[in-house]
Amino acid sequence: MNILETQGLYHDFSGLKVLFDVNLQVEAGERHAIIGPNGAGKTTLFNLITGTYKPSRGKIVFKEKDITGEGPWKILRQGMGRSFQITSTFDRMTAFQNIRLAVLSTRGIRFNLFRKVDSMPDITEEAEEILRRINLDSDRDTLAGNLSYGKHRSLEISMALATNPDLVMLDEPTAGMSKDETHYAVELIRRLTEGKTTVVIEHDMDVVFSLADRITVLHHGTILATGEPCDVRDNQAVKDAYLGEMGGEEDVCY
Amino acid sequence: MMNKTVKWILWIAGFVFLILYPKLFGIYYSNVFVTFAIFALYATSYNLLLGYTGLLSFGHAMFFGTGAYGTALALTHISGFPLIPALLAGVLAAIVLALILCPIMVRVGGTAFAMLHLAFGSLLYVLTLKLRHITGGEDGIGGFDIPPFSIPGIVSFDMTDPLQFFYFAMAVLVGSIWVLWFFTKTPFGQIMIAVRDNAKRVDYLGFRVPQTKAVIYVFSGAFCGVAGSVYALFQNLITAEDGYHVMTSFAPIMMTMVGGIGSFFGPIFGSAIFGILEELTTRYTERVELVFGLVLVLVIMFAPMGFVGTVKIIKAKWFTRQGV
Repeated sequence: MNILETQGLYHDFSGLKVLFDVNLQVEAGERHAIIGPNGAGKTTLFNLITGTYKPSRGKIVFKEKDITGEGPWKILRQGMGRSFQITSTFDRMTAFQNIRLAVLSTRGIRFNLFRKVDSMPDITEEAEEILRRINLDSDRDTLAGNLSYGKHRSLEISMALATNPDLVMLDEPTAGMSKDETHYAVELIRRLTEGKTTVVIEHDMDVVFSLADRITVLHHGTILATGEPCDVRDNQAVKDAYLGEMGGEEDVCY
Repeated sequence: MMNKTVKWILWIAGFVFLILYPKLFGIYYSNVFVTFAIFALYATSYNLLLGYTGLLSFGHAMFFGTGAYGTALALTHISGFPLIPALLAGVLAAIVLALILCPIMVRVGGTAFAMLHLAFGSLLYVLTLKLRHITGGEDGIGGFDIPPFSIPGIVSFDMTDPLQFFYFAMAVLVGSIWVLWFFTKTPFGQIMIAVRDNAKRVDYLGFRVPQTKAVIYVFSGAFCGVAGSVYALFQNLITAEDGYHVMTSFAPIMMTMVGGIGSFFGPIFGSAIFGILEELTTRYTERVELVFGLVLVLVIMFAPMGFVGTVKIIKAKWFTRQGV
């Protein structure tokens, strides 16, 4: 069953065609990677799916419901979480407060004006539990803006996951990370997205091949190929687009 | 850090101080204190927008003036109108104004938000001057009867007695500030701070940003209305100059900046600083604004986090030196 489907998706920014006829299909339970050269339209596709922009044409179906043109808050409430390529946390709030907001959202606590948030033990507990899982409990009271880059990225990713979504959209989770940090982040993602459907944009081919069950290649705004990692790798069109250098460990496919 | 007992002792000390204040300092300084408390509430409710949500408004006097005029008009035109409904009439007027404006205001930010408020504020100022038969024009509305605060059959306090009015004003103003403080501590208060930091991410966490801003906006307007209403009762007079003039809009901005923008209690300290400054300056000269402006410039240049921020920095320094 497809949890997410885009049907004939088109988008242009005042005449500049960014996406045309994109038919993406994400099966429930899989880790799906979207790859493609710079400017292929990956982030735009993400922005359309998560509600930042309205597509010029086409339909987005999530859990068999048409969500085309709905706002981010509405899409999130239906069970789709998202992280950003450029870290987007609440920098003047602590790591704990960042996560707690996500927990509040999950519990549907939005216009509560009659209780102090500090005296909601179950909320505090859940937020602390999430911090422990991402090894940020020692930085509980550090302002998000003062966290080290790797930790800040972890916070970014886990905020998308803390709302307990059915589908997680990760936009370049390892962007700008060192080799060690990348390795750590991949392990973290693998652990946290266990049993969840995940769509991830990624440039690092090692990461793609170690994480993804299926890959979609986006090139010049349209889907070039989609399928299992090894099939995509051997696809001639993909080789041409990447000038034959797709990277990844050779022995993965044999 | 501060434990519960210390907190309670501080609360009780503050309470006792408020009760004894008129006895200690006399009626003149009690009135100075009421003015300070009115502006403390006004600046604190303004700080919900500026400090907590990150919205700079150049026309918040709208709500202050509307609250004041609401109460004054109700007391002028309805004979025998009781005190608390008169207060609520002012607050309701401010809420209605906020409700009318909020569909536009929550969808703009930054400069547009500031300038739209300046525009609407100036509009109300001019209207108040021109609609002479309703608002009394430049002279304003004054001399209305201040009804006693009474619970029928139990007690009745004469509000024209400065001492009894002092206690009434304190109860209303301190109570309101406490409600605002509680507001910032609720889950909703967390969302409010998050909107200031990163509105886009708030949207992506499933909260509706315009609606959130609207609630804050109406809340802030309502408590500005309380401040304005108490002001009208206190002065027994409200004029366009006091209610809607652009200087009234800038007062809470200056108080928040000087008192400390990143803190709940900053505007209260700011109001105290300006209250004391005004008291001292008027002994020598009429040019109070000159001194205010100078202080504001100096604070922005040398202590951008205001009074509370500077105290925090000094405290941190002192404690590290102790540690070594």
